[in-house]
Amino acid sequence: MAEMTMNNACLTEKARAAPAPSYPNGNPNLPYNPPGVRNTDSAIPLHRNTPVQHDYRSDGPAAGTLGFRWTYGSNVAAKNRDPRVQVVQYNEDTFVLRQNVCVHWEAPFTYLLFGNKGALLIDTGATTDPRHYPLRETVDAIITRWAKARNRRNVPLTIALTSGEDIAQNQGLQQFADRPDTTIVPKPLELMKAFYRLGSWPSGTGKIDLGDRIVEVIPTPGTHKDGVSFYDPYCDLLFTGDFLYPGKINISNDKDFIVSLQRIKAFIVGNPVKWILGGHIEMMFVPGRFYPRFATYKPYERVLEITPTLVDEVLKYAQLVQGKAMMQIRGDFVLYNGVSPDQRNADWPGDLPVIDPPRPF
Amino acid sequence: MDRRTFLSAAAVTATVSGSIEGASAAMAAVRPDPIDFKSNLPATGTFPQKWICGSASCMDNTDPPVHVHWYNPHTAILRQNKAYSYEAPFAPLYFGNDRVLLLDEGFVQLRNDWDLRSVVDSCIEDWCRRNGRDPASLELLVAFSHLHIDHYAATNQFADRPNTRYMGLTHEEMVGFWGMTNFPEERVTLDLGGREILIWGSPGHVISEFAYYDSYTQILYTGDMFYRGRCYISFWEPWFASMQRLIAFCDTHPVTHVMGCHVEISKDGKDYPYGLTYQPDEAPVEMTVQQLREAFAMAKTITKPGIYFTGTVFLCNQTRHLTTIDRNPYKYT
Repeated sequence: MAEMTMNNACLTEKARAAPAPSYPNGNPNLPYNPPGVRNTDSAIPLHRNTPVQHDYRSDGPAAGTLGFRWTYGSNVAAKNRDPRVQVVQYNEDTFVLRQNVCVHWEAPFTYLLFGNKGALLIDTGATTDPRHYPLRETVDAIITRWAKARNRRNVPLTIALTSGEDIAQNQGLQQFADRPDTTIVPKPLELMKAFYRLGSWPSGTGKIDLGDRIVEVIPTPGTHKDGVSFYDPYCDLLFTGDFLYPGKINISNDKDFIVSLQRIKAFIVGNPVKWILGGHIEMMFVPGRFYPRFATYKPYERVLEITPTLVDEVLKYAQLVQGKAMMQIRGDFVLYNGVSPDQRNADWPGDLPVIDPPRPF
Repeated sequence: MDRRTFLSAAAVTATVSGSIEGASAAMAAVRPDPIDFKSNLPATGTFPQKWICGSASCMDNTDPPVHVHWYNPHTAILRQNKAYSYEAPFAPLYFGNDRVLLLDEGFVQLRNDWDLRSVVDSCIEDWCRRNGRDPASLELLVAFSHLHIDHYAATNQFADRPNTRYMGLTHEEMVGFWGMTNFPEERVTLDLGGREILIWGSPGHVISEFAYYDSYTQILYTGDMFYRGRCYISFWEPWFASMQRLIAFCDTHPVTHVMGCHVEISKDGKDYPYGLTYQPDEAPVEMTVQQLREAFAMAKTITKPGIYFTGTVFLCNQTRHLTTIDRNPYKYT
C-alpha cells in the first residue's frame, strides 16, 4: 500500500502532505476502524499494477464469518438442484466449500486458504467424477478471481489431506492430477511424514508456508492412522477433518485418539483458536441428536464450527470409552469405539435434555 | 351388505348414465370375454435381470422414480428408485377382471415429489388397452403389507381417485379391510374377478402385517416380515408363529416365488447398510420356498436376540436400530 502513488481527492491537505506510510484508501489504524480492517484490501483500489502484498499480521483472529446456511439436500435426492459445490467465503483469503449432500451423503467440507506465495486446499471431497462434483473447476475459478483481485499471475496450489486414507476426503484428488503449478502432499503415511518433515511422528509439527501465512500441521491419528490437523494462525482456525467434528466420530484406535486430543489440548493453550472446523456435520441442532448414515436430507443440521473448549469434553468421554466397545452420545458429538458405525444405545445420557427435532415431513 | 360380501360380490360397475358418449357405450358393448385366471397355473412370468437401484450421485440419477416391470401381461411389479428413497420398496400390481390390487406403495407422500398415482394409472390404462377394457370400469384397491410409512405414505395420493378403495392406517381398519375377524390365523380370499388372492396375518416385524398369495402367479408376498435383507424382527414369538403359518401354507399350496418388500443384500451375500442409496450389485428380490424353509430351520435354533444370517436373509432378532452388521473400516492397532 505504501508504494501506491498518492492522488486521492478524499484525503485532506494535511494527510496528502504527510510523509509515508500513506493510506490511499484511508488509514486502517484510525480508531473508528475495527482491527480486522487492516486485513481487507482485495477490492480497492480497482486497478493494480503490481502484485498486492497482503498484510497477514492480525491482532487476534482475522475478521471472518460463516454467514450462510449450508445446503442440506432434499427430501427427494434425485430432484435436488442445489449447487454441487457450495462456496462460502469466510474472508478475502479463506474459503469454505461444501459438497452437496445429494451428490454424496458424507457432504464433506473442503477449505481453501490463500497467502502471498500460494494457496492451500485442505481435503478434496468424496466424489471423483468432475461431472458430479466439479471441485477442480470451482477451485480454479476461485483462484482465478482471487488472483485477479490481487494482480497475481501465478498462484501455486498445495493440496493436503486431513487423512490420505479417508475416502470421504481423498476422492477429488484425482481431478487435480494434471494441474500445473500444483503440489500434492503424498497420500502414503511414510511419504506424507517425509513431506511435512515429521520425523518424530506423531509428535512435532510440520509447516506449509503460503507466504506470510504459515499453516501448521499437527499429527492427529486416532480416527485415521494417517490423520493430521491444520492450524491457520491468520484466522485462528483449526481444521481437523474426521478427527473432531460435530458428528459421529468413529474412533479407529482409542489410545492414539486420546493422545492426539491431549496434543490438541496442549496446542490450544499455546496458540489462539477461534473455531475448530471439521470435515462433516452429522449432528442436528438439538443436543445429542444426529442424522443417520447415508441421509440425503438434513434440514436441521448443527452449525459447522465448534469452540475449542469442546476438546476437554471430547477428551473426557474418549477416556470413558477407552478400551470398551460402546458408543457415547454427547450434546455436540457422538463417539463410537469398537462398534458398528450404526450402533445405538437403548439408553439416553441422563444429563442431556430430551428434545425431539421437528420431523421433516 | 357387510364389507366382506361387498368385496366378494361380483363388481357391479357404475350404472350407465343417460349422457354417456357413443364411444364408451360401444366399448361397453364389445367388452371382451373375461380373462381366465384359473387354468394353466402357475402363470409364467419373469423378473428383470436388474432393477433400478440408485446411483453413486443421487442428484445425477436419470432413471425414472419407479421401475415398472411387467412380470407377465396381468401382473406388474413396481420398484422405487433408490435415489428417490433409500427404502426403495417393491409394490406388486395384480390385475383381475373386475379390480386391480396395488400392494404397498413406495416411500413418497406428495404427488409433486413423484407421482405414484399417475404411474399406477398408466399401468392400468396400458393393461386396459391391451385387453380392450375401460379403465373407469376397474376398481382399484390400494392395500399394504404392514403399517410402516415406506409402505403407506402414498395413500393420500389416491384420496380423490374415483372408483378406489384404500386401507385405513390403524390395525383395526386394516384387518377390517379384508373382513377378518380372527387375525392372524384367519385366511381370507379376495376375488379380483377370476383371480384370487389369499390373505392372512403375518405379524412379527410389526403386529399389523399380512401375507398375500396370488393364486394366478403363485407368488407369495411376505412384506417386511421375510425379505432378502435385514428382517427386523420386533416380536419374536409372533414372527416365529407367522413363519410356521408360511411353511404350513407352502406345504399345501404351490408357490413359485417368495417375494419381500426390499432388497438389502448383494449377489454375493454382502450386507448393504441401512440407508444406502446405491446398490449396484444387489441380489434378486424373489426367493425360493427352499430358502424360506432354510430360514425357518435356522429360526428354530435361535434362542437369543442377535443377527443371524440364513444364507439368504439376515434375521435381526430384536436388534433393530441397536446394531448393524458392518464395522469401522479404518480401525487399526
